Amino acid sequence: MTLAGWVFLVASWGGILGLCVFCVRRTLRKKP
Amino acid sequence: MAEQRKAPREAWGSKLGVILAVAGSAVGLGNFLRFPVQAAKNGGGAFMIPYFISFLLLGLPLMWVEWTTGRFGGGFERSTAPGIFETVWQKNRFIKYFGVIGIFGPTIIYVYYTYIESWLLGYSVFAITGQYASCTDQASMAAFLQGYQGLVPNEHFSSVSTAYFYFLITFALNILVVWIGLRGGIERVCKVGLLVLFVFAVAILIRVVTLGAPDPAKPEWSVSNGFGFLWNPRWSELKQARVWLAAAGQIFFTLSVGFGVILTYASYLRRQDDVALSGLTASTANEVAEVILGGSIVIPAAFVFFGPQGTTEIAEGGAFNLGFVTMPLVLQQVAFGKFFAFAWFFLLFLAGITSSISLALPAVVFLQDEFNLDRKTASIIFAVVTFNLCQVVIFFNGQGALDEMDFWGGTFCVVVFAMIEVILFAWVFGMDKAWSELHSGSDIRIPGVYRFIIKYVTPVFLALILGFWFVQEGWPTLLLARTPTEKVPFVIATRVLMVDLFAGLAFLVWLAWRKRSAKEGTP
Repeated sequence: MTLAGWVFLVASWGGILGLCVFCVRRTLRKKP
Repeated sequence: MAEQRKAPREAWGSKLGVILAVAGSAVGLGNFLRFPVQAAKNGGGAFMIPYFISFLLLGLPLMWVEWTTGRFGGGFERSTAPGIFETVWQKNRFIKYFGVIGIFGPTIIYVYYTYIESWLLGYSVFAITGQYASCTDQASMAAFLQGYQGLVPNEHFSSVSTAYFYFLITFALNILVVWIGLRGGIERVCKVGLLVLFVFAVAILIRVVTLGAPDPAKPEWSVSNGFGFLWNPRWSELKQARVWLAAAGQIFFTLSVGFGVILTYASYLRRQDDVALSGLTASTANEVAEVILGGSIVIPAAFVFFGPQGTTEIAEGGAFNLGFVTMPLVLQQVAFGKFFAFAWFFLLFLAGITSSISLALPAVVFLQDEFNLDRKTASIIFAVVTFNLCQVVIFFNGQGALDEMDFWGGTFCVVVFAMIEVILFAWVFGMDKAWSELHSGSDIRIPGVYRFIIKYVTPVFLALILGFWFVQEGWPTLLLARTPTEKVPFVIATRVLMVDLFAGLAFLVWLAWRKRSAKEGTP
């Protein structure tokens, strides 16, 4: 796999997992 | 004024439950089979640029539109598109008939989807019993599939009876879950099903990434290069319209927007329940299943055993070929292959059932809402109608019935319905009111730029998809230009059945509204 391929893979996975963590944390946070 | 109901309105058990139900509806066979094929064929890593742009401009806005509109309609005790559309545009007498698409589309998809889903149940059993173990190349595995479908009687299957047996089980399971209801049936199945699906998918992913380069004579046929086959960007392909269209189409179909299903799910929320974060969370869960899990299994696995040339040919052969022919061959060659083959087919079966139960819901809930039937009676009526329609798919499978239903129910109706939804939301309901409704009870604040995107960009994006699609596929299909002569009578018969179903649903809408008007004493 080329460097550009790795960049796309890491960026895509990172973006989706980052969004996932954001959503899970906000969803589990209790409303005051 | 809302009609008096015989029984208290159903509700979701928890916020997580409705998110997982929507995610379960979105996560389907397309995540694991269609996405990797589309990415590999349309620019590799570069495909992700139009893919993510489509996610932000098309997928997410439509997700929010459906969640918000559904919850709004639910406030008037309306749970399906005809009623919900009327709550949004009360002055229009005809808008309810446009809502028929939101019941017709999912019902048609349900008819052929449950049959495909039943193949996965059958193959899960075959994986354990070793029924296809004697098939060691693409040709013999393809023949096994054709025999199973009853297309070509062979040494494996003399008729469609085995497939029919698994279809009956799958169909009964779907109806049972819908019969049980929202909280005890759909919510529970999605919670457990998605958990098992993710566990199996991660197990197969780990198996695939640890394959290395199994053939010492071909060290370049490695997992790393398999990922490269999918992810190495081919920039020049971004100049082609078909790549952008493929990415937009993939996002559109993977999120289950435009089906009418999310409208129904969201209608059971309370007014103070969040929709903005829930929509985003369900979309993100679908993306994890698609890009991270779906993108890491079939293409890298096929690459290490068949090399770049073989994988290209397999990808050209389409998603079904990859799932039912290539993957069992690949998994025959790894340690604990029987377990991993079972895990593969069963995870796809779970992805299928969490989607198909959602497809059944709009029609069942329509009968409940508008004719005051209880859930069980509505489920039985739905089962009788769809069971009969399924016979057409099963026995005329090789004659184009399934493709025809997929084309009109699973493609055309979905795009048209999404177009109606976004116009109703942004232009009829009005963007100020819609934005305020979207943020009512919200756990997040959506960036203001989405006011502009939902009002202008998403409708234009959808119009472009519809226009390109109609020129490239719709018009030739409508005129039967690509249908072989011997299949034409079957395709026309399938169309007549679909028109009958649509007309029948439109009549039921007319009847229900007439009944309602008589009860409320309005002309």
